[in-house]
Amino acid sequence: MPPTGRILRWLGVAMTAFALLTGLATSAHAEMSRGFRRLMDAVVRIDVREVAYEAGTQQYSYSIGSGVIISKDGLILTNAHVVSPRAIEISVTLASLERVSAHLVGWDHWTDLAVLKLDAAEVARRKLTFAHARFGDSDRLYVGEDVYAVGTPHGLSRTVTRGIISNKDRYFQDNYAVRGYETGAFNTWLQTDAAINPGNSGGPLVLSNGEVIGINSRGYIGADNLGFAIPGNVAKAVAQGLVAHGRITRSYAGLVFGALQDLERFYDLSVNTGVLVNSVDVGSPAAKAGVRGGDIVLAIDGVKVDGRFPEQLPPIQARIAALPVGSTLTLRVKHGNEIRTVSLVTERLESRVGEEYAFVKWGVSVRKVSRTYARENQLPNDVGMLVIGIQPGFPADVAGLARGDIITSIDQKPITTLAVAKSLYAGYERKPAPTLVEARRDRTVSLYVMKP
Amino acid sequence: MKAPFRALLFLAPLMLAFAASPAAAASDTSSSSPSVAALWKERTACVVAVEYTVKTEVDRREVVSYGTVVDHQGTIVLPPMAINLRFAPNQLTAFKVFLPGDAVGAPATYLGLDPMSGWHFVRAGASQLSRLRPVTDFSPTKPAEPGLDEHVWGIALRGKDEDFLPYLLSSHVSLINNLPQPTAIAQQEVASPGLPVFNRAGDFVGIALSSFGQSFVEFSRNERSGLPLMLVNVEESSAFLVASECLPQFLRIPTNVFGRPIAWLGTYGLEPVDPDVARFLHIDNQSAAVVSEVLENSPAQKAGLQSRDIIVAINGKTLPRFRPDRVVTSYIEREVDRHRPGDSLELTVLRNGQRLELKTTLADAPTLEREAPRRYFERLGFTARAFVFSDAVARRTSFANATGVIAHFVKPDGPAAIAGLQTGDWIKEIDGVEVKTYQEAVDRLAAIEADPARTEYVLLVARNGDTSIIRVKLK
Repeated sequence: MPPTGRILRWLGVAMTAFALLTGLATSAHAEMSRGFRRLMDAVVRIDVREVAYEAGTQQYSYSIGSGVIISKDGLILTNAHVVSPRAIEISVTLASLERVSAHLVGWDHWTDLAVLKLDAAEVARRKLTFAHARFGDSDRLYVGEDVYAVGTPHGLSRTVTRGIISNKDRYFQDNYAVRGYETGAFNTWLQTDAAINPGNSGGPLVLSNGEVIGINSRGYIGADNLGFAIPGNVAKAVAQGLVAHGRITRSYAGLVFGALQDLERFYDLSVNTGVLVNSVDVGSPAAKAGVRGGDIVLAIDGVKVDGRFPEQLPPIQARIAALPVGSTLTLRVKHGNEIRTVSLVTERLESRVGEEYAFVKWGVSVRKVSRTYARENQLPNDVGMLVIGIQPGFPADVAGLARGDIITSIDQKPITTLAVAKSLYAGYERKPAPTLVEARRDRTVSLYVMKP
Repeated sequence: MKAPFRALLFLAPLMLAFAASPAAAASDTSSSSPSVAALWKERTACVVAVEYTVKTEVDRREVVSYGTVVDHQGTIVLPPMAINLRFAPNQLTAFKVFLPGDAVGAPATYLGLDPMSGWHFVRAGASQLSRLRPVTDFSPTKPAEPGLDEHVWGIALRGKDEDFLPYLLSSHVSLINNLPQPTAIAQQEVASPGLPVFNRAGDFVGIALSSFGQSFVEFSRNERSGLPLMLVNVEESSAFLVASECLPQFLRIPTNVFGRPIAWLGTYGLEPVDPDVARFLHIDNQSAAVVSEVLENSPAQKAGLQSRDIIVAINGKTLPRFRPDRVVTSYIEREVDRHRPGDSLELTVLRNGQRLELKTTLADAPTLEREAPRRYFERLGFTARAFVFSDAVARRTSFANATGVIAHFVKPDGPAAIAGLQTGDWIKEIDGVEVKTYQEAVDRLAAIEADPARTEYVLLVARNGDTSIIRVKLK
């Protein structure tokens, strides 16, 4: 069955050919333009002021992005790289050119999505009105289909650009792309040649009838006509999860997959079977279960997997992620010539990026070492906080601490949580005194004294 | 030997300050003693140039270094940097000794290195013996100590294209410091690195070390604010190890090329404690070092040493205070190196504010990289080397149950390089089969190499904790 979009477009052409001869064509066109107008009334500009801790102190920055209202009560879908938990002030400009404040409902850097909510009291008080967009079915898109990107590129509000779907299944996994957070492991992206520029981020990619089929999120810097959007169906599901729980909880097994490409024959596999385990995270459930880099996973929970091409990896990874945390996962694994079944219990997926904070009087800003960061960097455990900024001339700088050091203890108390460091800092603020700091640099341990 | 070098860099500004101060008047007034020129001429028989060839998988290179004759058997010591330890001894061939001013050299033998001093030992052939004089012939029974402002001079050699012509350098001593070995620093260069330094009377006072960096600021039309530069004179040096320290090291002639046995404690990452921290810990007026890691199955581990322990004394002797702080780490390493495997070494450490005495029994060091067997496969385009202890340390993995081999060299643009294999990759499987030992790996690779029908093979390699499949196309 041909997608509806195509029918509508075909009808549009018919309409010009037999101008006004059939009532059907006119009403279809009218419906289309109504849908698009409604969408335009749901697209917003988002101005964000946020705090950054990188420089050993708190700094404030300002940025602009786009978003689309998706519900009557003012929920807005945008990118996680537009609005993150660092945002301290979010201001939304509606199509009616009214500015309303909003707050973050939840964010998910893995899919680069965030949900905001307009301040309901303010909306009611000022009697503001707005439209909300409808989702189309992004699974039914076809390559070559006409699409429109709507947003605020470079601050130019309410810009519409046009293009086609260039690819429906683009694979992008990046460990640092969303403000230093991981992204892209669990979904593929829509690729379009509709112009997407900085500031388009978070705006919708729509069909001619105004249905949202994607959230524009990235372009290639320096390339023309290579824009990427999160598929609408992924966005819809994540938005529901964020509204319900404020976060998306995923399962983690510690398997890093790689595309098998044309190695099936080498591994003596039957056609279209298996996914290569490129590596296994140290200390992860998969490592404990004995899965190793170079193994081939043939089936997950009894269902055959096929991971020959990179774009086939996200669905496999998403399947594991979708399980409740603590699920037992059964893998059929080929190791050399031997095939065995292994079971593992999933953990909660955690970002490598931990909570950040700035100890202003010490002149040091830090990020808590997460379990993932510790494993990745082969640290013995997740005790400690990574120095991400140093204020020149302040006690931490004078003592000799540097960016990249991991502060493991302060006054001989291990930094198991950021709260431990905060309470020690509070003590210092009350009564400044020389403070002994133990820090790890690469693999060496050194001691420092921070003096008031 | 990186640490002492860095320590020397630290001193550069200090030395400049000395150089800037008006030099005291020359102190050599005695007219009865022979001229420096005459002394110099006689002592040029103590120095030689040593040339050897480094054979690598794809080329051979000649390397020249300068050394000092230390005994009547024609034993020559070369400074540590004369030979890059990345190369295995069997890659070092065609050792030749050239006497100053000679265009033709004679074959010599490489004896190995002394792990404590890092010095290399070479023995000249019998044909040259009569023309060599050991520097010890010019050392009084009680070794001469260089004094501050004393006039010292030494020998330097020109390059091979000038037949290694000897020339004279001379200066005055500006500073004597323990780095941790007593080291004299002169106002200007006094000898080529590795060659001897004498006093006005002609007594041996020390051997020039590798030179150290001096800070300069470069101004140009575009860079008017000045660009800080550090220059190192690699041909001549102003720093020398004093005679009383050198002479005992001349006797440490290795009995094998690897310098075995090598005493081993098994600590990793000794970090100096700076004076502020020392005051905080109430260990003022001494040096101390934090142990970053204790290596698996090492004497340190067996004795109960733990990561984060602070070493404050060795064999009951408080660590002396060094300037700069960093010198303490080479001091501790030398304390270990001057012992033999089986010797006990007592460490006093500070742990959670408590002083603990730990008695370690030093062991012979695990196989070193340069001792590890290796084999180059020309058609495959890489060298496989046995996995050694230091490989496990570098990869933060346990050595006890490690398998596989290391890609020690990957031929640029060779089949393995094109497929993505990199130097240092850890090969765990070949053609889908785990390789447990070096021999297993080499046998498999040799079989692939010898099979002309083979068009490809597959490696499973680990790099930075990640594993990946590398598919190598042959032909």
